[in-house]
Amino acid sequence: MAPPAASQRYPSPSQPSGKSEVSDLKTQLRQLAGSRAPGVDDSKRDLYKKVISYMTIGIDVSSVFGEMVMCSATSDIVLKKMCYLYVGNYAKGNPDLSLLTINFLQRDCKDEDPMIRGLALRSLCSLRVPNLVEYLVGPLGSGLKDNNSYVRTIAVTGVLKLYHISPSTCIDADFPPTLKSLMLHDSDAQVVANCLSALQEIWSLEASHSEEACREKESLLSKPVIYYFLNRIKDFNEWAQCLILELAVKYVPSDSNDIFDIMNLLEDRLQHANGAVVLATVKVFLQLTLSMTDVHQQVYERIKSPLLTLVSSGSPEQSYAILSHLHLLVVRAPFIFAADYKHFYCQYNEPSYVKKLKLEMLTAVANESNTYEIVTELCEYAANVDIAIARESIRAVGKIALQQYDVNAIVDRLLQFLEMEKDYVTAETLVLVKDLLRKYPQWSHDCISVVGSISSKNIQEPKGKAALIWMLGEYAQDMSDAPYILENLIENWEEEHSAEVRLHLLTAAMKCFFKRAPETQKALGIALAAGVADFHQDVHDRALFYYRVLQYDVHVAERVVSPPKQAVSVFADTQSSEIKDRIFDEFNSLSVIYQKPSYMFTDKEHRGPFEFSDELGNISITPEASSDIVPAQQYEANDKDLLLGIDEKDDNKGLSSNNGSAYSAPSLENSSNITSQMQELAISGPATSATTPQSSFGFDDLLGLGLSTAPAPTPTPPLLKLNPRAALDPGAFQQKWRQLPLSLTQECSVNPQGIAALTVPQSLIRHMQSHSIHCIASGGQSPNFKFFFFAQKESEPSNYLAECIINTSSAKAQIKVKADEQSTSQAFTTVFETALSKFGMP
Amino acid sequence: MLQCIFLLSDSGEVMLEKQLTGHRVDRSICAWFWDQSLSQGDSFKSLPVIASPTHYLFQIVRDGITFLACSQVEMPPLMAIEFLCRVADVLSDYLGGVNEDLIKDNFIIVYELLDEMIDNGFPLTTEPSILREMIAPPNLVSKMLSVVTGNASNVSDTLPSGAGSCVPWRPTDPKYSSNEVYVDLVEEMDAIVNRDGELVKCEIYGEVQMNSQLTGFPDLTLSFANPSILEDMRFHPCVRFRPWESHQVLSFVPPDGEFKLMSYRVKKLKNTPVYVKPQITSDLGTCRVSVLVGIRSDPGKAIESITLSFQLPHCVSSADLSSNHGTVTILSNKTCTWTIGRIPKDKTPCLSGTLALETGLERLHVFPTFKLGFKIMGIALSGLRIEKLDLQTLPPRLYKGFRAQTRAGEFDVRL
Repeated sequence: MAPPAASQRYPSPSQPSGKSEVSDLKTQLRQLAGSRAPGVDDSKRDLYKKVISYMTIGIDVSSVFGEMVMCSATSDIVLKKMCYLYVGNYAKGNPDLSLLTINFLQRDCKDEDPMIRGLALRSLCSLRVPNLVEYLVGPLGSGLKDNNSYVRTIAVTGVLKLYHISPSTCIDADFPPTLKSLMLHDSDAQVVANCLSALQEIWSLEASHSEEACREKESLLSKPVIYYFLNRIKDFNEWAQCLILELAVKYVPSDSNDIFDIMNLLEDRLQHANGAVVLATVKVFLQLTLSMTDVHQQVYERIKSPLLTLVSSGSPEQSYAILSHLHLLVVRAPFIFAADYKHFYCQYNEPSYVKKLKLEMLTAVANESNTYEIVTELCEYAANVDIAIARESIRAVGKIALQQYDVNAIVDRLLQFLEMEKDYVTAETLVLVKDLLRKYPQWSHDCISVVGSISSKNIQEPKGKAALIWMLGEYAQDMSDAPYILENLIENWEEEHSAEVRLHLLTAAMKCFFKRAPETQKALGIALAAGVADFHQDVHDRALFYYRVLQYDVHVAERVVSPPKQAVSVFADTQSSEIKDRIFDEFNSLSVIYQKPSYMFTDKEHRGPFEFSDELGNISITPEASSDIVPAQQYEANDKDLLLGIDEKDDNKGLSSNNGSAYSAPSLENSSNITSQMQELAISGPATSATTPQSSFGFDDLLGLGLSTAPAPTPTPPLLKLNPRAALDPGAFQQKWRQLPLSLTQECSVNPQGIAALTVPQSLIRHMQSHSIHCIASGGQSPNFKFFFFAQKESEPSNYLAECIINTSSAKAQIKVKADEQSTSQAFTTVFETALSKFGMP
Repeated sequence: MLQCIFLLSDSGEVMLEKQLTGHRVDRSICAWFWDQSLSQGDSFKSLPVIASPTHYLFQIVRDGITFLACSQVEMPPLMAIEFLCRVADVLSDYLGGVNEDLIKDNFIIVYELLDEMIDNGFPLTTEPSILREMIAPPNLVSKMLSVVTGNASNVSDTLPSGAGSCVPWRPTDPKYSSNEVYVDLVEEMDAIVNRDGELVKCEIYGEVQMNSQLTGFPDLTLSFANPSILEDMRFHPCVRFRPWESHQVLSFVPPDGEFKLMSYRVKKLKNTPVYVKPQITSDLGTCRVSVLVGIRSDPGKAIESITLSFQLPHCVSSADLSSNHGTVTILSNKTCTWTIGRIPKDKTPCLSGTLALETGLERLHVFPTFKLGFKIMGIALSGLRIEKLDLQTLPPRLYKGFRAQTRAGEFDVRL
């Protein structure tokens, strides 16, 4: 598809062609305004249609506002609708002219046709001009009492719109109590549903500063109200049912009978044709039974078939949303879908985002009973025309192999992939074989014989090449020509573009050297020389390090580079179970789709369901803005490197254990430590920014420079300036929290206003953010709240991490601080305490 | 809560914008979205839910038209997607399809519909029969309607009585001179045949579609002769749950006009009506292809419009394929379609020929998947049979009609 012409995408109001036509329209409308001639409605219709089509394309036609209003005296309903549409679109920008429309809208609100009454009321409320709110109260009041339900429905939503324009007007006019009585007594289901949605929104926003609203909000969750809705849920339309089900999720049942009553009332909702209703019901079931383990299991059985139905009968977009949720469920209870794996077989025509999720499902449901069938199916995808899916399915086979006990057959399959001689298949397979060998060293003989026969020339992809090289180094004693293959590769050092591959070559040459020194010596020499001369910093550093270690003592070098390996029993899971639980709590929300709890993607701010940020909505996005989402992708890329990361850690461990005792000469100790520091730097490539300050500090210390980089503790702590836009991803946070030593523990009291404001964790989080201290995770319920915060220095990427436990009953806060720069942690603690002490103050 | 809905043409042009709340969404989000989906390559492949720097975007694509909804707040994603699907369904129902021209010609109608379907970001009514009462369908459809119903005006000025009725899907009191009710069983066969010719999966997805034009407030009961074969049922909101639970009887007050009463699935079928036997052997840079298609088990009715289509692998440089029955077309995107029609009595249709591989390739390693299409009128392959359709109170001059058809859904034959 061709990229659209710029004029279409960025319509500018000052388009010359638009301008003359708009003024044409203006004169024509003016002529028609007062006319009562027959047929005038038809010509008006044409003109209105033109105006609105300009509006639709994006041409600014606000200049004909006056004329449009003048022409609006008509009885034709289509004309009226067009006029309402136009007025609704431009009123906000023309508050003065909008006054003109009030008159005719108010008149229409008293029309005898209920449809016109309703439409006029809707438009009146959609004007959203703050200085016109006084005109809204009257029509809304009578609209709520209208004898036609259509008008009442619109009036209820109108009240909510009024609240958003001017909360005080809405509250002063006593609308919320009116809505409440409508909600409980109106005969029309849609009116009731709209009342519920409006009241939920108004009361949750009011709750922060009005105790009454808080009570009212709670009362929506009381048993009689919940049952009032659930008993008549069938009378509501499907969307209103979703609303009620969302309300029911928040209800805390009094006993198990209560739980069963609700489930009985809702059971048939699982069969509803609307997927949104089904999923909302599933959430109610799951949340209700969380505390009852055996019933919870039965719920899984019960919801299984409705969900599977939704996967296969809806549009691909619907399947995608459902599959994301199924994936969440299957991770919690893999056995439930074990027999239904065929539902996740990919059909040829499905879009790849659905296929990808289905592959993940197949991986997750695989167990002893179905592995054979699933792997057979996955192997068929490996020959698929869609290369991305072929890759994914090979990876899926590998994942299944890593989580199974009986991998015999799977290893054979994987080795068969190698015989397909497709570049990408071979590359993916090599990576998997490498991981398998690390977990099941007993398979090495079978694999090595096949891997040894692969010509390295056929592999272009860095990942695959690196895996092959790793195996050559690790199993050099079993592969007769390993040194010669490595030698070949090293001779082509210049042509190797990927630094990752060159790093692996260096290590593999070292390992090979320890096992078969005579054959490798020459190649190792060339590799080290080429490595030291390499322009890539990491490669250069590693080569230099190897060179010096070898120079020092070959046996030490062997212990450092090639220590005996232990089989990896479990590969690190990328998501902690805590995070998975958080996502599960947020079932039926975006969190599930993104596979992240909401605090990780809701823009650092924990947004309630009804809060918008206006600045964000109004700024226009330029293409550069898309760089905002890059960090997340990087994070993912890092995860993929996880396996390699572990590999490197082995090397590291050997290194540190040698540090203390083996050396005696002070000069040597220094230099070896320096290189080890450098090595660390090289290894922790992705997290360089985080470790730099720390290690350079150690570096200086060793050189006897003492506190040169660390500024002397500043006498005036508030001088510490924090970066208001600090960013740290949760993974890095966790890592740092583990690594850094505890630098300070402090207990302080929280003022009573603060305690009062701390009904939910979000309030404190927002407060701290205004002091440039950001929350990364929070939890707990009254009286105990727990928060993890982080902050960054304004000028340099130096992080402060803090854990804060607040007990609201004792009004005490316990703070634990860890910092990259130990010396300034006191300053940070002071800032933190000052910020905390202001919490709750007006 | 949705804040804004955009309709984009297949070139990324904003055809329609409907702001739903006081928080305006700037149109530039569409440009961002379009750049994003262009960078993804095929827009069909881009995810239905993505996060832009300012909003969460939900999108569905129908016939090249992108329905894009924006939200800044947390909401159930499936609800947004379902709603967009309904919007698409209603529009194509109203306009007789969705494409750029239809939407641009009828944008007033689209605005009117959106106005009734969603208010303040929360979906109101999406039931087509109710919407049709509030807003008259345009053009041909309305002309036909006016002929059928005898209602000359195409501007509806009556109020949606259904919105206030206690049965939200039915207008209060429709009147027909002749009372008609039609039941269609429409089934699709989804199957996967693997490389060894085994039937890995064979299922029927079926829908009971009805067209009811009945006076007053009819109460219908539909029963099947063999309801036990049904699985994974989903019902229209009008179906009462208890009678189905206890005796597998569908008891309901139908909406007016056409609607989908229920959908179901019949699993673990043992046989397909048609077999496909593909064979590819490759050597020295050329592949020999031969595909046989024939009837495996005669369903008793004619199997029509049999087609077989597949994507030639990228490494195929040229193809020479011919058949002894039907026509073979190869498009420039390497899609090959073999239109067979009915299977002749005297011979077995066979597609044969050679594929030349790109130079340097000896053998073929990427294999195509064959997609089979067919249609059988007058039979439901699942074996589901309707026993009877009863009305509680019989209106005068009642006509009941039943039909069935089966077609291939996702029928993959892998090689």
